[in-house]
Amino acid sequence: MSWLDDLSRELRAHGVSARDRGRIVHELRDHIACEPGCEDRLGDPHALAITFADELATAEARNSAFVTFGALAVAAVVLIVSQITLARFAHYPGYSNGISIALFFPAVLGMLVAPQVALVAGTLAAWRALRRRRAVSLPAGEIRLINSRTRVALGAGLATMVGVELYVVDFSQRLPAWWLGLVGGLAVVAGLGLFAAFRTHLRARTIVSSTAGQAGDIYDDLPVLGWGWLRARPWFLGALASVAMGLALGAFEAHAEHSVFEGVQRGMFEGLVAAAGFVLLGRAIGARPAPAHLPPSAYSPDQLVADSDRAGAELELREGYADGRLTLDELDARLSAVNQARTVEQLRAALAHIADS
Amino acid sequence: MKADTLNGQLDPLILATVADQSAHGYAILQRLKERSSGAFDLAEGTIYPALHRLERDGLLSSAWSTDSGRRRRVYSLTRAGTAALEVRRREWKRFALAVEAVMG
Repeated sequence: MSWLDDLSRELRAHGVSARDRGRIVHELRDHIACEPGCEDRLGDPHALAITFADELATAEARNSAFVTFGALAVAAVVLIVSQITLARFAHYPGYSNGISIALFFPAVLGMLVAPQVALVAGTLAAWRALRRRRAVSLPAGEIRLINSRTRVALGAGLATMVGVELYVVDFSQRLPAWWLGLVGGLAVVAGLGLFAAFRTHLRARTIVSSTAGQAGDIYDDLPVLGWGWLRARPWFLGALASVAMGLALGAFEAHAEHSVFEGVQRGMFEGLVAAAGFVLLGRAIGARPAPAHLPPSAYSPDQLVADSDRAGAELELREGYADGRLTLDELDARLSAVNQARTVEQLRAALAHIADS
Repeated sequence: MKADTLNGQLDPLILATVADQSAHGYAILQRLKERSSGAFDLAEGTIYPALHRLERDGLLSSAWSTDSGRRRRVYSLTRAGTAALEVRRREWKRFALAVEAVMG
């Protein structure tokens, strides 16, 4: 197998797209054609593919987060326009006056709950991408977190636009044709934008990065939350955020509707929704601890480990050295053992007395 | 000079190499070697991720061209790349003067 074949296979193994792969291989083929026999000086094809994949994964994840944020901004404008025009020129028709309650409730859930999820996840994804805009290669865990936030934001954004369309259908016999056409059309346009963003996301999530390092969490993104005691109690953060959301939106509703009862109802609903969101999506957006990057203890000892397992183990050892649990000689010996480890048992032996693996 | 000595310097060196004239990957590498009198001993493949990164950052542009019947990717400096190169040149001169002042 030639050097170029090796490179192409490694690029494919790391999820580099056929288009990028074709270009890279073509450029390297031209390089070799300029000076036949220079393959040795080009370096290890495995290492070169990893460099390409790490940098592409980083760039694509950031790009996907920004594109998604832009598409969500358009969707937000559509939602705001729909509500302003409905309140000012068309008037709310009342929930029981539509075609079916079965359309109304999913529509309202889509228009009330999904935008909040999209706002939180999309902002966190874009904010992390912006904060780390100068990094050439982000750790694999961090790329996964950005992609995960982006995916949640896109799903919620699409749910919002589906909710708007369901609302249009439900009240198609009650609301003026101009409103139905305007809002229905704008929601389709915003939905297409979100689908386009979804394509960039699919492209981003197929590339595999091998860079070791911590994924970080919401406390890294919002340093104001970085109190040690809160970081150690993520459920307390969830409860705090739920109560704050409930109080804020309850007070807003009470003021807008001139009714304490309505405010309490809305506040409780929002609080429960925020709590459910934290439970269901907290890990995906980095508000709860990410899964351990070491092989879970449920793995059988002779199960083969992946490069990402070795990268996680290496990180554990470096942290062990940094906080004084290992000497430099011990670190070198254990790093060597980690790099040679093929099974979970061998990896655990290399991490003995360091990590709970 | 080993590749790790070049850490952080490969990108501006590439920009400087294509500042005068567009070039494909192999030609850029040859210019780097010639201008440094062969001092830079880096794995030649590493230049390609750097070229792609600089293009993504908008500092280089590239296009396919045909030369002697061979299709190859030719890189050129963009306006943003020219500005970035000037900044890096000034920074490098300040750094080099400071190092020289200390090292003698």
